[in-house]
Amino acid sequence: MAVTTQDLSVTYGTVVAVDRVSLQVERGSICGLLGPNGAGKTSMIRALTTIVPVAGGTATIVGHPLTDPVAVRSSIGVLPESNGYPGAQTALGYLRFYGQLYGMEAADAEQRALQLLQQFGLSRGQARISTFSRGMRQRLGLARALIHDPAVLFLDEPTLGLDPAGKEEIMVELARLAVERGTTIFLCTHLLDEVERICDQVAIMNHGQVVAEGTVDEIVDSSGAEGFARIRVRPEDVPVSDEVLRGTEEVRAVRFDNTRPGDLVVTIDNDHGAAATSLRALLDAGVEPRSFDFRGARLSDAFMALTSGRAGGDKVTEGVSQ
Amino acid sequence: MTTLSAGSTSTDVAGRTRPATRWTVIARYELMDLWSGGKGLSILFGFTLVLSILAYLASADAGINLLDARESVGLLVTTSIALGTLGAMVVSADAISGERDRDTLESLLVTPVPRRHIVVGKLLAASSVWIATLLVALPFAAVMAGGPGVMSDAVTVLVVSGSLSAAALTALGLAISAVTMSNRTSLVVSLAVLLALAAPSQLPAVRSSTTVGPILIKLNPVSASLRLAENVLVRQEPWPDQLVYFISPALAAVVFTVVAIRLAGRLELGGSR
Repeated sequence: MAVTTQDLSVTYGTVVAVDRVSLQVERGSICGLLGPNGAGKTSMIRALTTIVPVAGGTATIVGHPLTDPVAVRSSIGVLPESNGYPGAQTALGYLRFYGQLYGMEAADAEQRALQLLQQFGLSRGQARISTFSRGMRQRLGLARALIHDPAVLFLDEPTLGLDPAGKEEIMVELARLAVERGTTIFLCTHLLDEVERICDQVAIMNHGQVVAEGTVDEIVDSSGAEGFARIRVRPEDVPVSDEVLRGTEEVRAVRFDNTRPGDLVVTIDNDHGAAATSLRALLDAGVEPRSFDFRGARLSDAFMALTSGRAGGDKVTEGVSQ
Repeated sequence: MTTLSAGSTSTDVAGRTRPATRWTVIARYELMDLWSGGKGLSILFGFTLVLSILAYLASADAGINLLDARESVGLLVTTSIALGTLGAMVVSADAISGERDRDTLESLLVTPVPRRHIVVGKLLAASSVWIATLLVALPFAAVMAGGPGVMSDAVTVLVVSGSLSAAALTALGLAISAVTMSNRTSLVVSLAVLLALAAPSQLPAVRSSTTVGPILIKLNPVSASLRLAENVLVRQEPWPDQLVYFISPALAAVVFTVVAIRLAGRLELGGSR
């Protein structure tokens, strides 16, 4: 395992930021750490990177316990959420400096810095960092975190403030690192679509605790998040469709789309069987839908369900009149 | 065992990077940041400007016999010590708390560099401000001294007493910077401490006192340095009687440096969660 925690707790005075968290992250995998603001994600990362002391529990990074901070710090690369940069320094000088802090000779550090600058598309290595855009700084921060080729990379909101193209570049690079170099990546982000796309494992935190852990599919399935179907019928069939769907066990709510007469948005259980049952009920009632579009629950639905206390709620059948 | 694979990294058999000379790396980087970033040069420019104005006014006064050479040099040396120390202290007070404010500290703290190496490196870099101001002040002192006797006294006071005083307050500024969570607080506290230390030697009640006053001045590293300069350069008092004024600056330099390095072990990120 690259990262293991057992009942890890972090406190600030009387405030419990991380509450007995137990996690295991496999080597070479990408673990997404999700949660609303204040859930304890940053505190968790700071504890694992030896920045804040742990109040209880244990943790190891590639086998090194947190009680051996020098070994842990030698094994990790970190891009903090609020990462400042020395504007007067050049990108090359900045990376070379960090390389030397990790024990490289100046010439080797420079060589590695040049390699990373090229890898991250930062051709202006001799330019002062103050002239860099936000996206360039984030890429420089990522390069800095990788200067010593760490076994585990901790990234706290690495795409914050980047445009879509910049986000995509970072995500592609992270996936490449995990696959090609076997780097374990601990990714803290609010970009749920990206997490769905690149993370092998996800942990969702809320109020300092891990409320769900597993693969994206496992979390979605266990969250009780609901699926949705958008059904289009003839406007004159709307009343009977409403009645039929309300009477179907798998349907939790029916809503009309006022902007599209004849469209019904149906909240149903998160499986294709529920969708099929709803469709069959309509057909049996003589309603022929013009379209039936089922969208299963996604990570964002699970996230909302798990962090807003709406998971696994009782069935709600409601109709909103036109 | 760690899976570090940076081939050129100096590692021991346990996979740890060797921290032996990390403070030199920090010091070099901080020096470059200080002097190429413009902050050091700005301080030095301001210092040189003040000294130039002072030298001009003192020379003009000397020309009309209002101020003799020793008084001029005494004024220049005490001003140099006060301002040079102030410059070095401002830089050291910004060294850690400034990094907190600029969000650059966390990246530094997650490296395997021991905290004390970070503090020692920053201390050396901040001390360069005093060395630079000293190098600017020495030619002024030499020119204004008007003779080898006064010049050697002025150089000795500047180099020995001034350096001890500056070392003490630079370390104190760094210690304050390490424990305060905001840069503004660090700078305000450091300046308040400097003023509190410098003020006693200027208060008439303390200056005229023959009992408590001299003790207070000798105990205080800043006022001791300033009084030494005045006694040797202006009052021409013999050196052997003045050696006592070296004690508190030397002690303070050692104590504050040790305190700053020991506080390094408790260096925290601070700030918000």
